[in-house]
Amino acid sequence: MENNNIDFKDLWKKQAVSQPNMEDLLERVSQFKKASLRSLWKTNIMLLATSAFIIFIWIYYQPQFISTKIGIVLVVLGMVVYLFVSNKLFGNYKDIDATQDNHEYLQKLVSIQKKQQFLQTNMMSLYFLMLTTGICLYMYEYASRMSILGASLTYGITLLWILFNWFYVRPKQIKKQQSKINSLIEKFEAVNHQLES
Amino acid sequence: MEFEQIYKTYWDRIFRLCMGFVNDYDIAQDLAQETFIIVWQKLDTFRNESAIGTWIFRIASNNCLRQIEKQKRFPKSDLPIHLSEEKQQSIEPQIQFLYKCIAELPETDRIIISLELEEVKQAEIAKIVGLSEANVRVKIHRIKEKLTQKFKENGKQ
Repeated sequence: MENNNIDFKDLWKKQAVSQPNMEDLLERVSQFKKASLRSLWKTNIMLLATSAFIIFIWIYYQPQFISTKIGIVLVVLGMVVYLFVSNKLFGNYKDIDATQDNHEYLQKLVSIQKKQQFLQTNMMSLYFLMLTTGICLYMYEYASRMSILGASLTYGITLLWILFNWFYVRPKQIKKQQSKINSLIEKFEAVNHQLES
Repeated sequence: MEFEQIYKTYWDRIFRLCMGFVNDYDIAQDLAQETFIIVWQKLDTFRNESAIGTWIFRIASNNCLRQIEKQKRFPKSDLPIHLSEEKQQSIEPQIQFLYKCIAELPETDRIIISLELEEVKQAEIAKIVGLSEANVRVKIHRIKEKLTQKFKENGKQ
């Protein structure tokens, strides 16, 4: 250990290595494929089921007012937009080209994180707005048949619930996502900076 | 080149690269497997523009960099306790120390020195990492100095 010429290459290659069977690896490939497909299905089925339920109401109860129909369309559209964006985010990661050099790859990672940050914040707000407007329009037909007290109670409680979500749940959710993404962006940028010195 | 052949030729080299990055036997094994999953998926897009080695090492090192993101997602304490410590006990302490020192370097330095020790040509390392060859040469020199220094300090204790 006293000399200056430690044979790092020799030490490096002495690291114990065990090569797993290729069958095990291919087994993991198929597991991996199934898992990512499953997670995709879960969100989509949930949202699709909700949309199907609303369409069912449309057909079954035959709403008379145009406001009810617009309301239903807005709610379903809100969900479709949300679904589309989350699927797109999912795709972003898969499409990232793993065969570029580290410098380009890190830049790509940073840009994807930034895009995700933008989408998450804005889409969440848009989703909330569409849902709120949709629900308010949808309720109008049924509320118009109620007494004034009944109608204001129905709207009051619904709006209170929405306000709670908008001012409490939404910012909290956004903050949580943001801090996670921000620390990732910071880290990726720091690593990329190592290549710029 | 057939996947099976690539797998047999490159597994050990990719595993050591990952091991140098994380210094954790089980995580390195996972990272190496993930690398080959990507290789398997992308093999038909490989168009001989670069050497296959460069191509595979790019995938492997990028995958290691992605590890940063996973670390954020699963804090270390949440991971099950690894049994790998036992395995590592039997390895010569000097080898263990080398991998420990490398895993403590800045992320891109880990990749650069691992590739150098893997006897990848400096021109190729430059292509994998995305630096100029001159830069790579300087970096390797500095990293080796740092490692030698650490080994000396360790020897004195």
